[in-house]
Amino acid sequence: MTSVSETPSITTRSAIEEFLFHEAGLIDRWRLEEWLDLFTLDCTYEVPATDHPDADPGLTWSLIHDGRTMLEQRVIRLKKPEAHAEFPHSQTSRIVGNVQILDETDESISVTANFIIHRAKAGKFDTYVGRYEYELVPRNSSFLIRRKRAVLAHDMLDPQGKISFII
Amino acid sequence: MTAEQFIIDDRENNLFRVNREAFTSEDVLQRERKEIFGKTWLYVGHESEIPGKNDFQTRDVGGRPVIFNRDRHGDVRVLLNTCLHRGSSVCRHSSGNAKIFTCFYHGWAYRNSGELVNVPGNEDYKSEPAAVYKGLQSPAQVDSYRGLYFVNFDPDAPDLLTFLGEARYFIDLAADQSPEGVAILEGTHKYSLKANWKLLVENSIDGYHAKSVHHTHFEMMMELGATPPMLGKDTVNGIAPAGMGTEFPNGHATLMYPANGLPLATDSVKQTLAGLRAQAEQAFGENYANAMFGLARNSVFFPSLILIDLSFGLTLRTFYPVSASETLVTGWQIIPKGVDEEFVKYRIDNALTFWGPAGLATPDDVEALEQAQKGFGARGEVGWSDVSKGMGKPVPAANDELQMRSWWREWNRRITGEQLPTEGTSFVPFDKQGVDA
Ligand code: FES
Ligand SMILES: [Fe+2]
Repeated sequence: MTSVSETPSITTRSAIEEFLFHEAGLIDRWRLEEWLDLFTLDCTYEVPATDHPDADPGLTWSLIHDGRTMLEQRVIRLKKPEAHAEFPHSQTSRIVGNVQILDETDESISVTANFIIHRAKAGKFDTYVGRYEYELVPRNSSFLIRRKRAVLAHDMLDPQGKISFII
Repeated sequence: MTAEQFIIDDRENNLFRVNREAFTSEDVLQRERKEIFGKTWLYVGHESEIPGKNDFQTRDVGGRPVIFNRDRHGDVRVLLNTCLHRGSSVCRHSSGNAKIFTCFYHGWAYRNSGELVNVPGNEDYKSEPAAVYKGLQSPAQVDSYRGLYFVNFDPDAPDLLTFLGEARYFIDLAADQSPEGVAILEGTHKYSLKANWKLLVENSIDGYHAKSVHHTHFEMMMELGATPPMLGKDTVNGIAPAGMGTEFPNGHATLMYPANGLPLATDSVKQTLAGLRAQAEQAFGENYANAMFGLARNSVFFPSLILIDLSFGLTLRTFYPVSASETLVTGWQIIPKGVDEEFVKYRIDNALTFWGPAGLATPDDVEALEQAQKGFGARGEVGWSDVSKGMGKPVPAANDELQMRSWWREWNRRITGEQLPTEGTSFVPFDKQGVDA
């Protein structure tokens, strides 16, 4: 019974946590260009459909399957006042926890964490919960995100109705 | 509701108005449940979602919980998901494979073709429940067209083909895109709106809002080297760049426009598309292939099945009211069968940029509808909405509102019994005769 990787991780959990908390803070503060800078050029950002949480968003009708180009476009769009669902911007506050390093090689670290995001907009208060799966690559003294996958722990998007901000 | 008038259809002044009570009244919703969701053909699912024997999907159709399944012989069924004993759901999974549905409440068990086959404590009944109650009920009518299954809870309703009429050709244009047929992709968009379901009907066939609500999407398309819809230069099968709207009997309607550039399509994607087109040309002729791959179409099949066929994505959605101000939406992606993975990926990514609750456009639609519902709070003072755009034009453009008026007239006929004439004749932009032959 091994629940922990045999080769002890060189990267510490606190270093990963610091990075994830930093990422969460950038999104909550709508510093989305800086957030985008956390990603590699070959990155993907995925949110599977609520009824197929384990599916590959590249081959199924998922909620989000962005490569770098679309991720940039998503950010450009969200910053425009004509992104009607997000103007004025919603307020989000996210808690990232249960951070675990699952695997580590010289090139990449796979990490999982849970999230709870509270979103307030126009008198409505919604909660989004789920699990993150990250593939991080070491860069200088920190990391870049090669893959971010947010798996919602929802049956459907009700009452939330939409995901119009970065999750 | 005291005033019985829900629409004003003023042909003299080309003004069309809808009473905002229609969007807010629970009494109207009760009438819709009976007259519309109780009597029209409602979409349940596509055969590709239950490919094998004993496969099932549970759905909510017009407020009724149903099991859409294949029984052990492979026959497609729709069973009402309510136990004959005291009502509990007999199947609580969203999908799966099962030969028997056992109600968890007291354990009555049904075969997947419906028959009640086991009742715990059967010996305590003087008359055996299986003999008295037979099995799970089905809707009064179940029928399919091109793999799309529909139900009707009214035994006296005209059959599905009669109901769809010529509007069914727009289902053909989707279903014929591959000689191997089409399939629904795994993964469902399920989300709610805090708005009346009829606002989403209007929005789904509304070309007028595209420029204002989806401005950011248009800018993105242009940045990626594609021409946004209705802004191109080409005419396809006689349809001008601005497109056109057309109405059909029974409240079905379509808006269509020449399909423009494909953002980010690779050579391999273009090749696959050209291959599908060539096959269609060979099978159905150039005119039909042009309509299939050269035109984009948003169609509504009354009351709430929407097919959006944009040549780089084929989205199907249906929705049903939860209350007068709340709607549950289910959306799927259709893919031509037998195409390579890169093509599938491309279609998904392209369609996802627009559609769905996390797309770069749909959330703005949701926002607009929720804001409209909010606006109806002032219906005591501002009682009517306007749906007049393009009324009286010989050929309404895609961004006119003929489609909505056609739908509303059918809604009005079913709710009030008042029959109003159509505005023009239905138009199908391809030679379907040749196809049928
Ligand atoms: S309600 Fe189903 S067995 Fe009693
Ligand atoms: Fe829209």
